[in-house]
Amino acid sequence: MAVSSRRLQKELAEIQKQGTPVGITLLSADDFQTWLFSVEVLGETVYAGEVFALMFRFDGQYPIQPPAVQFLVDEKYTSPVHPHVYSNGHICASILGNEWSPVLSVVAVCVTIQSMLASCKKKERPPDNDRYVRHAPDNPKKTQFVYHDDTGIS
Amino acid sequence: MTEPSSSSHQEIFQESPSASPSEDATIAPRMKSKDLPELDEAQPPEYTIMDEFQSLTPLREYQMDEQALLAESIPDRPLIGPLVPLAMLREEYERGSQGFVRQIDWLMSHGHIGIRRTKGDGDCFYRSLAFAYCERIMHAPDAELAVMSAISSIEATPALLEAAGFQPLVFEDFYEMFLSLVRKILAPDENGKVLTPAALLGAFNDPETSNSIVVYLRMLTSAQIRSDPDISNFLLSPETAEFVEPRVFCEHFVEAMGKEADHPQMQALAQALRVHVSVAYLDGHSSGQNGDEVTFVHLDKAVGTVPGAEPVMLLYRPGHYDILDTRSEDPMDYYT
Repeated sequence: MAVSSRRLQKELAEIQKQGTPVGITLLSADDFQTWLFSVEVLGETVYAGEVFALMFRFDGQYPIQPPAVQFLVDEKYTSPVHPHVYSNGHICASILGNEWSPVLSVVAVCVTIQSMLASCKKKERPPDNDRYVRHAPDNPKKTQFVYHDDTGIS
Repeated sequence: MTEPSSSSHQEIFQESPSASPSEDATIAPRMKSKDLPELDEAQPPEYTIMDEFQSLTPLREYQMDEQALLAESIPDRPLIGPLVPLAMLREEYERGSQGFVRQIDWLMSHGHIGIRRTKGDGDCFYRSLAFAYCERIMHAPDAELAVMSAISSIEATPALLEAAGFQPLVFEDFYEMFLSLVRKILAPDENGKVLTPAALLGAFNDPETSNSIVVYLRMLTSAQIRSDPDISNFLLSPETAEFVEPRVFCEHFVEAMGKEADHPQMQALAQALRVHVSVAYLDGHSSGQNGDEVTFVHLDKAVGTVPGAEPVMLLYRPGHYDILDTRSEDPMDYYT
């Protein structure tokens, strides 16, 4: 079995055994291509009462390369209004790009994204949202975001 | 270094080259790293949309200011190349830096006549070290002792990773990949074959195997740094040159693929693998001790190394590591 399926199988077994952190629920993981989680922010938050769906798409490179992670936007779910989340669900976060490390797991990514929402004080879109969404590829991994803590790399 | 250029909020749309750069650059919170609820100050997102999915590890050409070194960035360069005469590297510098030529001549006159080039993808230190480590075991005068000693060192590492807080889930596949490769040096596989030198080179050019080993060595380096106060108390950010917390240093500069290694990473990995590493520094000008043309940095403080074992030899040029050798080409039977 390929490294990626073996690892995902273990992660899934762990989720089924240990459960997921508070506010995060596994919605579907029918194969090793696409997993879906619901994410909500608990406590005092600008997202009170909102439930989002995080979609993970894996290729054979996982976990050496990051999964493609975005918020699901369909008739049931919307993208959270956040300075680093586009209205099409794409997320600008360095851990999903050049700071990805195989020490991260699917659940760790969910928790990080949940924390990112939890610390948001003001709901607003990235300033270039409209233009990005017009040109954005289907797969957010085809967007190479520039993370500002990485001087010299772009 | 100063804050990154916040005003250059540029987007490059390969699909629509006419898109004009945005002008606003308001400060917005940015996500920092894993498990971190707090946010840093940062600029709004910038991005490039790629036609083809590219490597996540952009080459750091700003560090590759030497013309010859740019050759390392050729995409089809193998992850680990064949052994070639060091004279070939000399040729690349003949029209350029005479300082490099002089240092290469010095290395050749001191028996370092071969180089095995590693792809310049930011993982070159880890990949070079891993390959040279395995090859050194394979060619050890007492290979059986060398393999047993290596296996016992490697088998001691998962405990170190767990102590550093890594879940077995995230490292065990990579660990097994590395351990099984070292085992195969002497123990026949299911087809009754032991690892030949050619198969070793093949394994290191198979991206899944090769990158899995790099991942494991990165995690091991991180665990060692976190547990070793001799290293963790002296960590400087390569970006700001200020002291940084071990956790931050490891997350940003060790665990992520493509992040180059500096002295703390080298020191930590040599210690964790219990191997002596000698690095020849080629910088085109400075000299070593005793009037030598080249400075060697010896990472030889590792506890528990095999007495008398030859060090792993690496060649450093600014921004890149290759493997240095006392042979100038692979033996004739290498590829059979």
